[in-house]
Amino acid sequence: MMRRTATLLLRQNGSGVGGDIPQALADVLVCPLSKKPLRYCEASGSLISDAVGVSFPIVDGIPCLVPKDGKLMDQDQKESEDCTRILPTTNEK
Amino acid sequence: MAFLHSHATSFGYKQVPEEQKSKLVGNVFSSVASSYDLMNDLMSVGLHRLWKDRLISKLNPFPGMKHLDVAGGTGDVAFRVLERINSVSHRAMQGTLPYTEEDTQIYVCDINPNMLNVGKKRASERGYKEDNFLSWIQGDAEALSFEDGSMDGYTIAFGIRNVTHIEKALSEAYRVLKRGGRFLCLELSHVDVPLFKEIYDVYSFSVIPAMGELVAGDRQSYQYLVESVRRFPNQEKFAQMIQEAGFARVEYENLVGGVVAIHSGLKL
Repeated sequence: MMRRTATLLLRQNGSGVGGDIPQALADVLVCPLSKKPLRYCEASGSLISDAVGVSFPIVDGIPCLVPKDGKLMDQDQKESEDCTRILPTTNEK
Repeated sequence: MAFLHSHATSFGYKQVPEEQKSKLVGNVFSSVASSYDLMNDLMSVGLHRLWKDRLISKLNPFPGMKHLDVAGGTGDVAFRVLERINSVSHRAMQGTLPYTEEDTQIYVCDINPNMLNVGKKRASERGYKEDNFLSWIQGDAEALSFEDGSMDGYTIAFGIRNVTHIEKALSEAYRVLKRGGRFLCLELSHVDVPLFKEIYDVYSFSVIPAMGELVAGDRQSYQYLVESVRRFPNQEKFAQMIQEAGFARVEYENLVGGVVAIHSGLKL
């Protein structure tokens, strides 16, 4: 069963606060390389693609999802506790 | 080693290695971003507005739609889609519509952040609240960051000739569209009309770069623009490419004798 970015990002308190991803984006955004869901990392304010181990920045509220601007994460970063994984809700596809 | 196997692509009339093209194009648009709108008005004598209007009427936007506009950083097409939807909604107040206006989402994707910032600024100047209906994403037309089958419509206006691999952009467009979704491309194209062609060439190669120099302080970027138009596939060839990407009912409409063409296709 495929998890959508939205299910990985859905928060109970809504969106658009303090660097959160608006629902409209969470609904459709995927990793431009793998086309798989993205995860939002609160600590760095970036979007993480676990599928390829790449992180994409968000600058001035604009997600920068150009493939060549993605940063390869090293093993430490991937396992970092600083990036809170947001739990999926029951609306999984 | 990469040098031995690299492919060249066209950047105006210069042949450049592929990796360089997107960087060079990026520089062009960082340079042109601020005077983009003014130059568009001057070069097309205001006609680009009518061409974009025509693009939107062919799109037939509806309330509740999810629409992706690629390479449309400054928001020209996005605002038109939104305004058309608002006017449709008001007319529909008398009747019943299956979708609500609130579900409408317009995604503006551009490879250049300067263009997107201009668009965001214009959106707030027009009174659009942040994140309401409009989303701004920096991305590559050749590798879109949108889910398969997530969009009702896809437009690209005056952007596809700047893409390094047109086929990739077309297949990405196909991927993100829902079944029944429409692809529309507005682009400068080829003029075959005798005499008019000659006049258009003189205008393109003499007047436009000079205008770029005068207005935007940038002759080179506009020289690139003019050359990129000539290198882009003609109407028939481009229609074929759209078909090869999987689209059905591919057709095109010439405006001003082929100075611009609107190509459209349907994902069945």
